[in-house]
Amino acid sequence: MSSTSGTLALAKAEIIRLRRNKRYLFFSLALPIVLYLALGKSAITEGGLPFKFFYLFEMASLGAFSGAFNNNAIRISQERKDGWIRQLRLTPLPANSYVVAKIIATVTLTAPQIAVVMLLGRFYGGIDLPVWQWTVIALAIWLGTLIFAALAVAVGYTMDPNSVQPVIMLIFLFFSLFGGLWFPITGALGKFAEGTPTFRIVQLAGDVVKTGTVSWAGIGVILIWLAAFVALAWYAVRNTAEAI
Amino acid sequence: MSNTGTGPVVSFEDVSKQYGGLKAVDGLTLDLRPGETVALLGPNGAGKSTSLDMLLALKKPTAGRIRMFGSDPYHAIKSGRVGAMLQSGGLMPEVTVRELVSLVASLHPRPLPVETTMKQAGIDKFADQRVDKLSGGQTQRVRFALAIAGECELIVLDEPTTAMDVETRRLFWANMKAEVAEGRTLLFATHYLEEADQAADRILVINKGRLLADGTPAEIKERAGAKRMSFRLPRVDEPFLLGLPGLESLEIRHDLVQIQTRDSDATLYAVLDAGYRPTEIEVASLGLEQAFIAITAEDDRDNGPAQVTRHASAGKEMSGK
Repeated sequence: MSSTSGTLALAKAEIIRLRRNKRYLFFSLALPIVLYLALGKSAITEGGLPFKFFYLFEMASLGAFSGAFNNNAIRISQERKDGWIRQLRLTPLPANSYVVAKIIATVTLTAPQIAVVMLLGRFYGGIDLPVWQWTVIALAIWLGTLIFAALAVAVGYTMDPNSVQPVIMLIFLFFSLFGGLWFPITGALGKFAEGTPTFRIVQLAGDVVKTGTVSWAGIGVILIWLAAFVALAWYAVRNTAEAI
Repeated sequence: MSNTGTGPVVSFEDVSKQYGGLKAVDGLTLDLRPGETVALLGPNGAGKSTSLDMLLALKKPTAGRIRMFGSDPYHAIKSGRVGAMLQSGGLMPEVTVRELVSLVASLHPRPLPVETTMKQAGIDKFADQRVDKLSGGQTQRVRFALAIAGECELIVLDEPTTAMDVETRRLFWANMKAEVAEGRTLLFATHYLEEADQAADRILVINKGRLLADGTPAEIKERAGAKRMSFRLPRVDEPFLLGLPGLESLEIRHDLVQIQTRDSDATLYAVLDAGYRPTEIEVASLGLEQAFIAITAEDDRDNGPAQVTRHASAGKEMSGK
């Protein structure tokens, strides 16, 4: 067995678990779909962009991000406490595979989630975009998923299960609120929000639809956050190696 | 016991582990030879778990070196030559027992058939149950199954039979003996001294992070040196009994006198010479439990406040678990 196939075997098991987890399915799949069905036909237009587009990005991102972040952070923290990570370290699986498998599982399950909301947007919301625009929007959301998965690793390795819940709630509220996932952020607050990866992801999707262009500054901000959270995750994993 | 002459399976070379001001393991040096079944004994906090954690590459020694199959522990474990089970090891929830055993087997370079492993660990009857719905004893057996899911040369078990009932425990050791008969080396930490006595061909006694004794169960018992003697004597004279030669401890219950002595002959002759005619005389070697208590108590006495008085009845209340 190579270490890659071991990591993939673990990722497969993680996917099986997630598919059995009702809480995960509700928040990551059912809730965004229901909300989109309720709001996706909105006729309001603001800032030159119909709200139905906004709701499309919002629902696809909310489901993907909350799954990647809340779910992973809670599980990692719990599995650290229960000793599952410890147990895995006694197997021939390389030490980092646990984290890698979690991220693979998250990213794999997120793809169909994003696709489902987009299909709804196309056939229920009547949003007609060229294929390359759908692709850029999906990739942007998917990149955001990676950012949140990395942050989840950092939080899960640092906090114990009792304190992790309120912390992830606050962090997620911050990023989703200022990222404009709940309602569009404008004005002075918008300047501040521009620094968040979530805002830049929504902006990227909006730009693609409105003007057919992407903001490289926006992509830069997204990548900087990704790099920062990956570094934070790496530090947290290394720092707790003896406390597993 | 097959000593193939390929060098030790495991070696600790002057290994220490320091947590702040506390030395959990203090200059531990030992070798495990191929095919041995070795029990690691010690009271709570003796450094058993820390030693096993370092052996299994979960913790790094502060000083000294640990070798396993001639390489560092991490690489020996990643090459699948070690099967290990720890008390603190948890299981992945939301999957069935079979799924979990299959997963761990698939991580091994030389996996064993999942059905065989499950049968051997006695978990085949609940193979389709969810892991998070198992009892403590069942969980313990699943942990054991994960340790033996691949073909390995060294098995390390931390208190393997905790939470098992008597019958399961008996079955467990029968299985374990089969594993060892195939030439595997087994190292296990335990609280049950009779297990160490019956299963191990070598016992390591550690206390306060140091190795106190290393030998066969018979040698360990001998090392404690003392014998246990009991007899009935109406109208006992306590000051006289306390003055007996060789006396280690004394306990009197009505007319029943129980003595632990370094020299059972001298002790008995002194009683007879004084004109007493005790009845129901019994003399026996100390069990492993008493030997263990004697060895660790001696160490505590040498290195800390005295804990054994001449009146103390060695045995029940001083024993660990």
